[in-house]
Amino acid sequence: MRSLMLIALLVGSSLVADSSFWGEKRGVAPVNNEAYSVECGSCHFAYQPGLLPERSWVKLMQNLENHFDTDASLEPEDKKKILDYLVKNSAEKFTQYKRSRKINKSISRGETPIAISQTPYFIKEHREIRRDLITQKEVNSISNCTACHTTAHKGIYGERDINIPNYGRWDDD
Amino acid sequence: MKKLLFASLIVASITQAYELNTQMQEYMNTLKSEAKKQNPNFKEFSYERGEKIFTSEHIGKKGKLISCVTCHTNDLSAKGINKHTAKVIDPLSPSANSERFSDVKNVKKWLRRNFKDVYKRAGSAQEKGDVVTYIIHKK
Repeated sequence: MRSLMLIALLVGSSLVADSSFWGEKRGVAPVNNEAYSVECGSCHFAYQPGLLPERSWVKLMQNLENHFDTDASLEPEDKKKILDYLVKNSAEKFTQYKRSRKINKSISRGETPIAISQTPYFIKEHREIRRDLITQKEVNSISNCTACHTTAHKGIYGERDINIPNYGRWDDD
Repeated sequence: MKKLLFASLIVASITQAYELNTQMQEYMNTLKSEAKKQNPNFKEFSYERGEKIFTSEHIGKKGKLISCVTCHTNDLSAKGINKHTAKVIDPLSPSANSERFSDVKNVKKWLRRNFKDVYKRAGSAQEKGDVVTYIIHKK
């Protein structure tokens, strides 16, 4: 019995050390696809696929010619490669990641947002940020994750890693 | 005589046109023959026409005035910035960034996208050749 408790304790502490608890991980899974990083990351931050559900990625990839009012069209073979990656790694495939689970859960079944910034969870999390902090030139828009989330490229969006230009750390309390 | 030859060699090397790699030369030749087909008076790609294409403002895809300069700036050896996303753009000039204008697939992709973004239409073969000529030769 004692050894069983010890094992449980060991397993438990290793999970905590891995910044996950009962299998839940912080943030979203980091990007690990070269084509995606190159093609999508050349114009904007390569948002992790776990930030939107599959149906959103499918819809977004169907209209790259009109991608947020710019032309982001790809050759068919590149488009297919990237869509495959997005679909395989979309939010509902990564429910062990806290942000993926929460974003996915916040979207009503009938909705298919193509902007991460239009998901209810994202809106809720950013609602208190002053508008001028978002529009300032160092940030530019709410879509520029890395301007404030210093660990966004690792898929970590936690509060302690936020540093808003000309404001500093963000404390929700 | 030897001195003169040497001096002219130096001058030649300074003023020499930027040398595109084979696949890019082939692409430029394809654009040239297309341009001739579309316009019987077409002779050569023009730096001046390319400069106008690159620097003039138009109502773009976003419904606002935009030019190539908006994001790439007028200094093609310097970094630019994507005005919509705030993402840094590496220098466009191949003299500052050797990856530029080395891969035809990539060049075609950006000409296609950026003509749509700035001009709301595809560029013609002549326009594409002109603007590439301008970018690779601009000092």
